[in-house]
Amino acid sequence: MRILIAGGGRTGATLALTLHAQKHEVRLMEHRPNVLAHIHRELPTELIYEGNPNDPRTLEFARIADAQVLVASMSSDAENLSLCFIAHEHFKVPRTIATINDPRFAWLFGPRFHVDVAVNQADILASLIEQELSVGDMMTLLKLRKGSFSLVSETLAKDARAVGRALREVEFPRNAVVCAILRRNDVVIPRGDVRFEAGDEVLALVDEASATELAALFGPAGLSSPSPDSVA
Amino acid sequence: MNVIIVGCGRVGAELALRLSRRGHDVTVIDHIGSSFSHLDPAYRGRTIEAEPLAEGVLEKAGIRQAQALATVTNSDPVNAVVAHVARTVYGVPNVVARNYDPRWRALHEAMGLTSVSSTAWGAQRIEELLERPRLRAVFSAGNGEVELYEVAVPETWVGRTLDALVAGIPCSPVSLTRGGRASLPEPERVLSAGDILHVTATLEGAGRLGRRLEGGEA
Repeated sequence: MRILIAGGGRTGATLALTLHAQKHEVRLMEHRPNVLAHIHRELPTELIYEGNPNDPRTLEFARIADAQVLVASMSSDAENLSLCFIAHEHFKVPRTIATINDPRFAWLFGPRFHVDVAVNQADILASLIEQELSVGDMMTLLKLRKGSFSLVSETLAKDARAVGRALREVEFPRNAVVCAILRRNDVVIPRGDVRFEAGDEVLALVDEASATELAALFGPAGLSSPSPDSVA
Repeated sequence: MNVIIVGCGRVGAELALRLSRRGHDVTVIDHIGSSFSHLDPAYRGRTIEAEPLAEGVLEKAGIRQAQALATVTNSDPVNAVVAHVARTVYGVPNVVARNYDPRWRALHEAMGLTSVSSTAWGAQRIEELLERPRLRAVFSAGNGEVELYEVAVPETWVGRTLDALVAGIPCSPVSLTRGGRASLPEPERVLSAGDILHVTATLEGAGRLGRRLEGGEA
């Protein structure tokens, strides 16, 4: 795929390196002299196009017209927005992806500026950290792009409510399904008669509302909410 | 008229004062509160300290009721985005953007914005005064691509025809003022002492006319 990247900061340079290694045709535009000095050490010179990515002349120099994807990963949100607009409007680039630096500007990243996909870096980090804080040992492996489902992993505590019970005996929350159980060096397919053991790593697909209930089944007993009769 | 000004540097503050003196309802937005110290004490409008592109800020400034918006920060991409949002999201009928760094002018053009290059315009005025003291620009069309110049006809050109002065130069004489009376100039008119000529010209034309007036050939 032919990919044009604007901005050679941490995100842009890493992306260029990764995509180049995967044999994609990558071009990277950058104009700040200090950043250029840095990326010239990390990337093959023929990938680097010097010039301001918001200047149509730089875009033509970097042959934007034959790019299949444009990635706007500059440190200024206004620059990312205006670039996506020009790329689509003047050069008919079929797909634009932009990074959002300041979440307060997120509302602008959409069809108005011809941004097809917006990656809100702060938002992603914040929600990952929030999940780590809120749910026991449950780790989010992947947030599905549509809806509120995530693929999570949780290691069963010794005193977890699910330990010793067969899968079919456990009352799972409505929007949760166990996908796999990693036990020592094996992957156990989760059928009804499989019994949970302490130390099992369980992979599950779960929505936001059911995540807490699932954590109560798999997490340490102390973390689950107290049952009504224990509240004296 | 309800006007919103984004950016309260020197240009924003001057514009705010002028519009408020003429009785318009002015709101100035800047994300740095101390910028409002640029405003003259005579300014009678509102100020909002907020990031202009954060959600809801332009609405708080009354953009839905605004007839005009000027975005005059010293960031060209910010001006471009604010102007585009004002036009396309809120349908403000009259939107003007400032082009701060001439190297970013192409962006404003590509986005189809009405923009004023204050830096380039100022430098061009000064350049003209340095290079062509006899030509005084009295009106600028567009961003100064064509200007109307006032020329005091020098001694050396008295007794020669207007045509001889302008022949071959990209310019159009529009009036000749003699003894306080202006008339449309015919090419064969003979110039006399004290004549004031008005002529429109491109920058290139003005340069050549200036050199010919000084006696050098253009």
